Amino acid sequence: MSNVITAKNLTLSYEEDGEVIKNATLTIKKGDFVFITGPSGSGKSTLLKSFYGNLQPKGGSLVIGGLDMIDIKKSKLQELRTHLGIVFQDYKLVNEWTVEKNVVLPLWISGYSEEVQSTQARRLLHHVKLSGKENKYPLELSGGEQQRVGVARALAKNPFLILADEPTGNLDEFSSNVIWDLMENACQQLDTTVVVVTHKIPMVFNIPYRHFTIDEKGSVYEVH
Amino acid sequence: MKFIKRHISLIFPLVAILLGLEFFIVFDRTTDSYEKSLSSNYSIMVVANDEMSIDDFKELDNHILGVKELPKPKALDIIYNTKNKNLDIAIPNFYEIKLDNLLGIKALAKVKDNLLESKSIKRIETFRSTYKSQYELFTFIKFSFGTFIFFMSVIGFFLIVKQMEVWNFMHAQRMKVMEIFGASLFLRSKVLISMAVVDAIISSILTSSMFVSLQNMWISDTQMEILKEHVSDVFLFSDFFILLFASIVVVLIAVFLVVINVKAE
Ligand SMILES: Nc1ncnc2c1ncn2[C@@H]1O[C@H](COP(=O)(O)OP(=O)(O)OP(=O)(O)O)[C@@H](O)[C@H]1O
Ligand SMILES: [Mg+2]
Repeated sequence: MSNVITAKNLTLSYEEDGEVIKNATLTIKKGDFVFITGPSGSGKSTLLKSFYGNLQPKGGSLVIGGLDMIDIKKSKLQELRTHLGIVFQDYKLVNEWTVEKNVVLPLWISGYSEEVQSTQARRLLHHVKLSGKENKYPLELSGGEQQRVGVARALAKNPFLILADEPTGNLDEFSSNVIWDLMENACQQLDTTVVVVTHKIPMVFNIPYRHFTIDEKGSVYEVH
Repeated sequence: MKFIKRHISLIFPLVAILLGLEFFIVFDRTTDSYEKSLSSNYSIMVVANDEMSIDDFKELDNHILGVKELPKPKALDIIYNTKNKNLDIAIPNFYEIKLDNLLGIKALAKVKDNLLESKSIKRIETFRSTYKSQYELFTFIKFSFGTFIFFMSVIGFFLIVKQMEVWNFMHAQRMKVMEIFGASLFLRSKVLISMAVVDAIISSILTSSMFVSLQNMWISDTQMEILKEHVSDVFLFSDFFILLFASIVVVLIAVFLVVINVKAE
């Protein structure tokens, strides 16, 4: 099985001093389901940011989907991003677009036909229990509903790698389980690699998973 | 209503700049013929001992465009033809000189000096006083007009930059999200480009119609002869394309400034 994420002695920081992630070494294979936990401020979101190329590593090496992320070319990064499914902690929906338009953003960027876009939007919104809200705007939705739109968007193009930052942070147990089911399915049926940052690993989880944790000092360990 | 609100803040300064530009074009075009008429009304009278050709004059000064020989005063003819036929009195020749364009006061004095360098030229008459006041008034108007247009354009440009900051704020979120999902620069700025181009087209149409109505309504009633004479010069159809081109260049520069200023967080 090929490696989707390979980090060796990866060091991440925002300023010159004060490293957020220190010497992280981890290998994530195709089809892995990975949970990342850790205290608030430990650097979970920061680690994900480096995975989608929004933060250049300060040290070590990082390879995502076969691409060396150190000094990656803009065009290569752009191409890589069209194959990722990202869920943000703060959703990052486009407020002036309808729910449907938000969901199909990855398809639209890749130039899929309107027909494919609207079929896929309807299917995904049905999955995240938001049927009928296609033409609403994000600010007309509750926080939890917005979060589910964010998850639907991440799944829209069947990405090879899903990077989800607290995808159930604002959801009750029922809605959370809907999201976990979707991600389990993507992992099992499409062999998608899934990396999920969460502060609470679900009690009931139906597929094998790996678990990394980041401590206060920014060191990354595999728990099990 | 929403459409108007969204566009007015860019259209307004754009129209201000385009009005300035079109006024400048029109002013240049109408006063160009005025300048020509001013210089053709103006002539220098030269009294010369010998007969001189146009080339002789042109050799003396290159601003000289044309020369017209004036009929000799009748009295001189009579004297020449009757009493003094055997006396060797040189009867002077009179010439009226036309200049190629409207010259400044100093340049005109230089022409005069150049002409006087010729041995055969005895006297030069100029109509300095009327010419000078007309010319100075004209340059003053031209200068104040240019200054006015310049400041209008500067203010217009600042308003556009201000509006761009608003756009930057309004569109930054969307463009950032699109960038993270791998959208190209063109795709990210497509909305802005189309909005800006629509505004550029609207502004050009507005400005053009202002000038067309100016041409058709105001000028026919005005007392200003110079405008009446050149009423067809006030707006040419090709001006629309000049305005459209200028406004599209301005808005594309503005869009480009917005897009490169949106950085991924
Ligand atoms: N854009 C930024 N600029 C500077 N420092 C940042 C930035 N984003 C995060 N940090 C710092 O990096 C550290 C890790 O932040 P990060 O967001 O990765 O934490 P986290 O583990 O995701 O926390 P939480 O569970 O609260 O989301 C924090 O100390 C934070 O202050
Ligand atoms: Mg976080």
